[in-house]
Amino acid sequence: MDLATVESRAEPRAFSPKHDLPEEYRTGATRMLQFHANSEIMGAYLEKPFIRQSPSLDRKLAFSAKVQDEIGHGQLLYRAAEALGVKTREQMLDELANGEGKFLNCFHYEMTDWWETPMIAFFVDGAAMKRQATLKNSSWEPYAHAMDKICFEEGFHIKHGEDVLRELATGSKREQKLLQEAFEEWWPRILQFFGPTDDQSTHHDFMAKVGLKTASNDELRQAFLNSYVPKAEKYGLEIPDEPRIHYDEDAGGYVLEEDDLDWEEFFAITKNDYEPGLNQIDTRAAAQEAVEWVRTSLDASDSPAAAAAGGD
Amino acid sequence: MRYEVFRQDKPGAYHTHCGDVHAPDREMALLFAQIQHGRRMQTNSLWVVPKEEIGEVDTDEAAFGGTTDKAYRWATTYNVDASFAEEIEASEREQAAEERKRGSDD
Repeated sequence: MDLATVESRAEPRAFSPKHDLPEEYRTGATRMLQFHANSEIMGAYLEKPFIRQSPSLDRKLAFSAKVQDEIGHGQLLYRAAEALGVKTREQMLDELANGEGKFLNCFHYEMTDWWETPMIAFFVDGAAMKRQATLKNSSWEPYAHAMDKICFEEGFHIKHGEDVLRELATGSKREQKLLQEAFEEWWPRILQFFGPTDDQSTHHDFMAKVGLKTASNDELRQAFLNSYVPKAEKYGLEIPDEPRIHYDEDAGGYVLEEDDLDWEEFFAITKNDYEPGLNQIDTRAAAQEAVEWVRTSLDASDSPAAAAAGGD
Repeated sequence: MRYEVFRQDKPGAYHTHCGDVHAPDREMALLFAQIQHGRRMQTNSLWVVPKEEIGEVDTDEAAFGGTTDKAYRWATTYNVDASFAEEIEASEREQAAEERKRGSDD
């Protein structure tokens, strides 16, 4: 299939592994899926400490279930990526470990305290969910199928995140203060979640034409702000004065002063060059190395697992 | 040999199990599957799989969940309003439907 044919047939779920797709499509889809899969894994690592650190048994259970889900989402997406025939799952996991693999800006920052958790579990996941809902219409069928399962599970994640937010926002004065501080620290990063405006996004046009993306970053950011700014306000969070943001009746949405955001940091992050964030990558790399023996023993031809699978 | 047949009704949809066929080899299985399972129902694609290649585990051997209280992993447990975002509401709706199905099995 040539590129023009792909463009003319780029309906939701139109292309599956049985189709002979041009290299541009396969590499574009691989880049997107690998980024998405990496982000699921890195997000899980950010929340993993809260399986222990959460203040109650219910929260520990919920975070343990959530981390389990997110790792599963990563695995689903690596398979959807692998089916494109460009990179193997092992290759993508190795690239994530060695610092080549790219992932979401927010997951390059450390999260150390309980009152920070709704910033990821509600706002960042909520932003991700805006994008993921549109990806159910991806032209790459394995991607759309993965989204069916992921979106099914995310409702729990985000409602749980909001529940933590509500609990802190209606808690003690100290909790409210710490929550506000966490919000001020994370808010600019959350605003950068959808990247810079579309005219600066290098890949968008191609990805939209071949049906891999069905909504622009601007549209998604707008939808996110429309849903989540009122939520923040509902829980008494004060939107910081900077970066400046205001609701514009005429534009029918929020207008963000982009220049108020630190794009130097953002672009360092997108290249995995942001020094404080390297620890996130290295921590996961160390975990991958620590369980290497599990993979090796599963793969070994004389292992019980391999023997069972082989049915000798 | 027996082959299990999975039908996809339209492009992009899931292949779901719809029956089986007897055939001496895969090529014949594909042909018989078309005749027996692809004629009446709307069909875009069929998968045929040798029966013995399918692994199975069922409720006699495995606990698939639902036997212990895992309310903490359902959206419906959390008493916050999901109507602010259509996609969260949709996810909650799907989970609620799934919960009802599990409930009716008891």
